[in-house]
Amino acid sequence: MILRTPAQKKRRPDTLLTDHESPVYDRRLVLYEGPAPVTAVDPSDEMVCTYHCRQMVKSDFLVALNNAEKQLAEYETKLAMLNSEFSQSEDERKNYKDRVLSLEQELDASKGREHALQERLLKEVGDSMERYKEQVKRCCELEMQLNKEIESHKNAELSITSANERSRDLEGKLQRLSDSSEREKNILKRQLEHLQDDSKLSSYKIAADLERMKLRAENSEKESELLREQLNDLRIHLDECLREKSGLEHKVVTYAAAPHESTSEDNNLVKHLREQLRNYEAEVQEARKLKSYHVNTELLKEKLLEEKGRRERAETELSKLQEAQLHAQNLELELVSWKSLLDELPDVSAVTDIPKKFAALQNETIQTMLEVGETKAHLKQLEVALELAEDKRQNAEKESSLAKEKAANAVLEVRRLEIMLSSVTEERDKVKKEAIMLSKQKIGNEGGLSTETLVKDMESSLVERENTIKELATNLHEQREVVHHLHDELKLLNEQLSTEKRKVKSLEREGDRLRSEISLLESKLGHGDYSVANTKVLRMVNTLAVDNEAKHTIEALRAELKRTQAKLQAVEELKGQSDATNVIDGGIPEKLAQLKGQIATLEKREERYKAVFAEKISVFRRACCLLFGYKIVMDDQHRPDGIPVTRFTLQSIYAQSDDEKLEFEYESGNTNILGNDYSSQPEISHQIEIFIKKMNSIPAFTANLTIESFNKRTLS
Amino acid sequence: MGSRTASKDIITLRGSAAIVSEFFGYSANSILYNRGIYPEESFTKVKKYGLPMLLTQDEGVKSFIAGLTSQLTEWLEAGKLQRVVLVIMSKATSEVLERWNFSIETDAEVVEKGVIKEKSDKEIMREIQAIMRQIASSITYLPCLDEPCVFDVLAYTDKDVAVPFTWIESDAKLIKNPQMVKLHSFDTKIQSGHTGFLQER
Repeated sequence: MILRTPAQKKRRPDTLLTDHESPVYDRRLVLYEGPAPVTAVDPSDEMVCTYHCRQMVKSDFLVALNNAEKQLAEYETKLAMLNSEFSQSEDERKNYKDRVLSLEQELDASKGREHALQERLLKEVGDSMERYKEQVKRCCELEMQLNKEIESHKNAELSITSANERSRDLEGKLQRLSDSSEREKNILKRQLEHLQDDSKLSSYKIAADLERMKLRAENSEKESELLREQLNDLRIHLDECLREKSGLEHKVVTYAAAPHESTSEDNNLVKHLREQLRNYEAEVQEARKLKSYHVNTELLKEKLLEEKGRRERAETELSKLQEAQLHAQNLELELVSWKSLLDELPDVSAVTDIPKKFAALQNETIQTMLEVGETKAHLKQLEVALELAEDKRQNAEKESSLAKEKAANAVLEVRRLEIMLSSVTEERDKVKKEAIMLSKQKIGNEGGLSTETLVKDMESSLVERENTIKELATNLHEQREVVHHLHDELKLLNEQLSTEKRKVKSLEREGDRLRSEISLLESKLGHGDYSVANTKVLRMVNTLAVDNEAKHTIEALRAELKRTQAKLQAVEELKGQSDATNVIDGGIPEKLAQLKGQIATLEKREERYKAVFAEKISVFRRACCLLFGYKIVMDDQHRPDGIPVTRFTLQSIYAQSDDEKLEFEYESGNTNILGNDYSSQPEISHQIEIFIKKMNSIPAFTANLTIESFNKRTLS
Repeated sequence: MGSRTASKDIITLRGSAAIVSEFFGYSANSILYNRGIYPEESFTKVKKYGLPMLLTQDEGVKSFIAGLTSQLTEWLEAGKLQRVVLVIMSKATSEVLERWNFSIETDAEVVEKGVIKEKSDKEIMREIQAIMRQIASSITYLPCLDEPCVFDVLAYTDKDVAVPFTWIESDAKLIKNPQMVKLHSFDTKIQSGHTGFLQER
């Protein structure tokens, strides 16, 4: 209750003075002074004066009394007003007290809620810290795994480098071996050349011997022919002589029966006949000698043939010997190289261990290659997983930093709230103190002024309290909203994390499935499996096996034919020799006849085929010539590097000279024009450049040439 | 070879088919030489892909491979060829010892629309060279074929392909427990060839 002092009335200075001076008004204790001693002034006047003074004083007093009464009434009304106001203020104070109590309760409740919020925030911060720790642990584990994988990758790389080094060493050794083998090859080549020279010399010698033998054989053949002729003549002569001899002997016998009838003429005849006989005997002996010579020549021939055969066998054996020597040298070199390899290779003691070692090395390399491939695939998988984990870690770090920031903000908010709370409590204490003061003032003072100031103070403090309470309420509301928002964000983040984890797992599963499918498909593909609905497998009918079998049978038949021909020749020779002695086997002529028949049929067939082929090819050639206007001559040749090529020489039917010929070379599907005098002519070379080199068309070139030569011919 | 401009970079379907079939021919010869299916003296050296390549002189094998490559070219131009497999079998037991696999992927757009692609011939040659080197080096880690062997070629084609009269349908001649080794691949931008081989474990 604020006591107000009414405003002092402004009076006139006179009245003010009188009022002021009046003792009643001033409420001063004025000592009543008796009437002042009368002076020499007139006593009646003094009586009148005092009466007047008394009257004045009385009137003044009455006026003052009235005024005082009025004031009193006013004061009483004021007091009543003040009292009412005071009671109002008391009511208000009570209300404010109640409000303060309720506010205090609310403050306590908000404190409790803030405390709970703080605890919740702390819990959430703790949870996020735990999650962060878990994430950090996971990251550490992943880093350890990554380090392990990196180490295994390094080990694999080391093993790869070591395998590469080993392979390089082996390659180096192989190169060295190849170099040494090349050197030895060169040495062997030189030796071979020497041997070839020696063999050439020996072959020349043998050829010279052969020629000598041939000449001798020819001479002996000629001699034998002459001797044969002589022999035949002599045989004829001998037969005649024998006939004559038989006739003569008959005659001699008849003459011997009639001996007395012999005359000198008969003696002469006999002598003559004896001389003739002697001559004939001499001739027979000569014939026998010739026959023996003939037999000798035939023996010589046989010997020659035998020696020829022996020479051929010797040559073949020489070549075989050379090959065997080469083979032996190669084997020795291989042995040396294998021995050196044995010495160089570890864990190998015998030659039989080398293939096993090589097989083991091959298997090892294949396995290492497979392992390397698998580790590479595994590495890639781990790299992908690591990238994902790193992304997750980064996301988790971001989230944790966000949560930390939020927690820090929440803590700051809490502190701010605490500060506000403290300020509110301070204000509440102030209000309490003021209320106490008010109550004290109420008890102590019932004046107007102090209550008024107190009331004003109370009102201002109440207004301030209300404002602070509003601020607190708004802050609380904001904090609640912030906390709700944080909560919602956390939920969203958790949901996102869980969905992404699920996605990652599903992706990993899909990736594994796809990889297994890919490996299965690759294995199937490599294995040769195929879809029957889309694919069919074909192979050529005339395989090489069939061709080879036919070839083998043909070659076998040819070899048999040759053998039978050789046998036939030998038998014919034997037959020619044994005609005189008649040493003939009974079954051979039949076999000979059969073989001869077979040979005749085969030869006839061959001739028929040749004839048919010749006919067909001539018809084809003529048709080609007539249709395309070129005579084509085909010739198989070999290039200097040994590659077989087919040469075609084309001459136009409209050519004006025989020199106008084009030459082409055909090799494995490619046809090239060869240069000659005709093709180097400017017109022809120009056409070659245009049609063959630029347009890559030989038919166009030949057609153009045909037309030009036809035009030339017709115009000429 | 493919149609060439002055820059030698344009590849048509026909050119690509010729490159692939020629590659198969030389690969088959190289495999036959390196695996010792035919004696060494029956091969001659030629220069191809910047390497000394060996070609058989056996007339039967030559004609067989020539006929094969011509048919493969036809199928490749039609885009019907999926795979070519060179099978090495034991002559005595007909057991499949090795399968040399040449998988082919054809760009369907080129087959349907006749689109032209561009790739440097040198690059294609380099890729083929790498495969040839690998085939030649396979002798270092493959086991020796001690017994006499024969070879056959299988062609995996589309189901709708008309079977020529010199070809018949066959089984795939698979290996029971194969061990697979992948080699390099080459790509003409129209067709790509992936090489690998299987042998029994």
